Amino acid sequence: MVSSQVDTQEVLMEIRNVDRAFGGVKAVDNVSMDLRAGIITTLVGPNGAGKTTLFNLITGELSKDSGTIKWLGQPINRIKPFQAARAGILRTFQDLRLFNEMSVEDNILTSIEANSVPLPMAKSQRKARREKVEYALSRTGLIDKRHIRAKDLAYAERKFLSMARVMATDARLWLLDEPASGLDPNSYEKFLEILREEVKQGVTVCIIEHNLDIVIGISDRIAFLDRGKLLADDEPQTVLNDPDLRAIYFGERT
Amino acid sequence: MLALQLTITGLQTGALYALTAVGFSLIFGSTRIFHFAHGATFIIAAYLFYFVNVSGYGVVLGIAAATAGAIAFGLLLNRFVYVPIQRDEGSFFTVFVASFGIGIVIQNIVGMIFGRGFVTVQTPLSFSVELMDGLYVSPLAWISMLCAVVFFGILWCFLRYSNLGLSLRALADNPELVKAFGLNPRYISACAFTIGSILVVPAAIISGATSGLNPAMGHHVMLISLAATIVGGIGSVAGTLLAGLALGLAESLALLYVDSQWTEAVTFAILFLFIIVRPSGLLGRSAAH
Amino acid sequence: MEAYLLNLVILISIYSILASTLNFIMGYAGIYSLAHAVFFGVGAYAGTFVATHFSASIFFTLPAAMIAGAVLSLILALPALRVRGEYFVAASLGLQVLAVTIFSEWKSVTGGIGGLIGIPPLDIAGFEVFKPNQFVFVTVVGLIIVLFIINRLVHSSFGRSLRAIRDSESAAAAFGKNVPLIKTISVVISSALTAVAGVMYASYLSFINVESFTLDTSVLIMAMVIIGGTGTQAGPIIGAALLLLLPSLISYLDFLPQTEIGSIQQIIYGLGMALLMIYRPGGIVGLKKQSGGGKK
Repeated sequence: MVSSQVDTQEVLMEIRNVDRAFGGVKAVDNVSMDLRAGIITTLVGPNGAGKTTLFNLITGELSKDSGTIKWLGQPINRIKPFQAARAGILRTFQDLRLFNEMSVEDNILTSIEANSVPLPMAKSQRKARREKVEYALSRTGLIDKRHIRAKDLAYAERKFLSMARVMATDARLWLLDEPASGLDPNSYEKFLEILREEVKQGVTVCIIEHNLDIVIGISDRIAFLDRGKLLADDEPQTVLNDPDLRAIYFGERT
Repeated sequence: MLALQLTITGLQTGALYALTAVGFSLIFGSTRIFHFAHGATFIIAAYLFYFVNVSGYGVVLGIAAATAGAIAFGLLLNRFVYVPIQRDEGSFFTVFVASFGIGIVIQNIVGMIFGRGFVTVQTPLSFSVELMDGLYVSPLAWISMLCAVVFFGILWCFLRYSNLGLSLRALADNPELVKAFGLNPRYISACAFTIGSILVVPAAIISGATSGLNPAMGHHVMLISLAATIVGGIGSVAGTLLAGLALGLAESLALLYVDSQWTEAVTFAILFLFIIVRPSGLLGRSAAH
Repeated sequence: MEAYLLNLVILISIYSILASTLNFIMGYAGIYSLAHAVFFGVGAYAGTFVATHFSASIFFTLPAAMIAGAVLSLILALPALRVRGEYFVAASLGLQVLAVTIFSEWKSVTGGIGGLIGIPPLDIAGFEVFKPNQFVFVTVVGLIIVLFIINRLVHSSFGRSLRAIRDSESAAAAFGKNVPLIKTISVVISSALTAVAGVMYASYLSFINVESFTLDTSVLIMAMVIIGGTGTQAGPIIGAALLLLLPSLISYLDFLPQTEIGSIQQIIYGLGMALLMIYRPGGIVGLKKQSGGGKK
């Protein structure tokens, strides 16, 4: 049901033959895939499959050994992380990397201040900025915690702050690295709801996720990585029903 | 002939620099601990040897004391300073500051015991022999180079063929692999500190007889170690080795053109040049982040 | 006694400027420099050069010193901050070592190891400040101005970016911060303000030599910041006061060998730095280590 709709979506990001090795171990091995607009692509695979490394290669955190990545038709092979962000590609981190000593509000505020030069701002600009912060705070339920330091938040709140930083921006593509891991059922219901809502409003998401319930619940497309190789990139049902992939996926759990 | 003379002196200095720097580079590469007190390890090993030697217990005991002292210092520092800090946030700079503080303490304690001036280990091995017309080389030069060859040979075999060595190397390239490979980081870091501290010992002992010792030289040791680590490429043991050797040679050959007080400027110039032109170092990967 | 107190207040003010400007990059941007004394020295020598060759008016000496400090720091920071934090530590250590050699050798400007004597007093719009009871006023006002500038910067979007970079450089970059550029600007501002302390110091003592600008001074300033508390405004001042009072405190304690005051002082603050990092990384003023809190 989704497939025809999904396949006609515009390709935002085109990843071709990307390689990266660490000391002889191929972390990402000749991966090619597309990220299409307005859908959620889920990256699954055992630990050490190269999922996070792929994110790092996209945003320029790590350099590729070879291969190309195009964003909106333009090659972004030598992009730096801050340029990726300004081009509309934002990511979260598995270990969150919040601005720990800063307040919740400042975490969000600094995430949307592209320009660090303290120039006087027009009133409308300031208002727009304030609204974005308020929006992210209220959507993630952090509105009462705005003055609390990020490091003093509870675990789930920290996860939501990590999301709020991204939500307040105008980025087109979100790369989310296990944003729901360790969340209690209530929190992840809330998290899924936020994510669906944002995608409806036009955001494109690529998400790394281990929890099968979440994977089934949100994916429009699933890419399966194992030991750096892309084993499948297809509709959720096709990937989830593939016996070989199931063996790899559940094999590592035992 | 002067150039040849300086080349040999440079190789001697470079061999010692390489040993010291590789010790730091190995620890830093595999544990990400910015072990600034590596200079203090050098001081401890050097002065222990000096002390045992002037007390008349001979060279072998001196070497044993220096080695034991260096390893003990490295391991204790790791266990009682770095591990507690890293258990919590463990940011790079918190570790650096603690390490730096310990370095200051050691420098001053050694200064209070042995005095702040230069001391030299007396040995007939430091007397130069005229090899050719106008070319003087002391046996210590050959011993330095031999030490470097032997220690690096053993290190190379270890890193190449043992499981532990392989994990240290993999870690140096990508610290995130600890988790993926299910390695015990505590064990790995203890091993890195042991090996890194042992590598300092020959350099510390020989320096006592060649250039002399003073308690403040830890900073010089660190400057060389840092410069060689960066010039060689962070995470690359072979690169650090080459860079250490090159820095020693450059310092020595620079004497053809400048006075001796400018030798550290040569180190700085090389370091700075690399940071500008090739920040990833001789054999390192991209350093830009 | 009064002279002693005035001298102490003046020195504490000057070192508070040094500690606060180092804290600006260390505590807010997470850049650890071992070359802070270099910019202190450059300010002192540049200010003195202008004062003896041209005019002792602070309207010339201060800008000259600040520009000299800023330009030198730009040369250091531009390449060294493009790359990882470790590089800056290494490069700044190298610069500190090199600077001591230059300060000792460049005799026409620095007077060599012997230093420079007869440095003219500060000339503020024709009014010459040399009496300690006047000078104390100048240094305290100088400190207040520097603190005000730092305060304004820290509480702007620039300051937020700095703190974001300190807390997580990769996350700051992932949200579009041009990390090297922001860091470079902060180092240049810090160095220019540091040079101000150099000008004051030189005219106050009317004598300077390389001894005041060695690695030991850089380490002392760093210890002041760390022990007082990084990333706070009061911390560096408390740290400066504490460490400058330390030698007199030690001399009161008879059981300590009085000939080793310098060493004992360094052992105390070296140990202090290490212990604080283990138990209280925020320093004296900073918050206690969080127990559990936000961790997994």
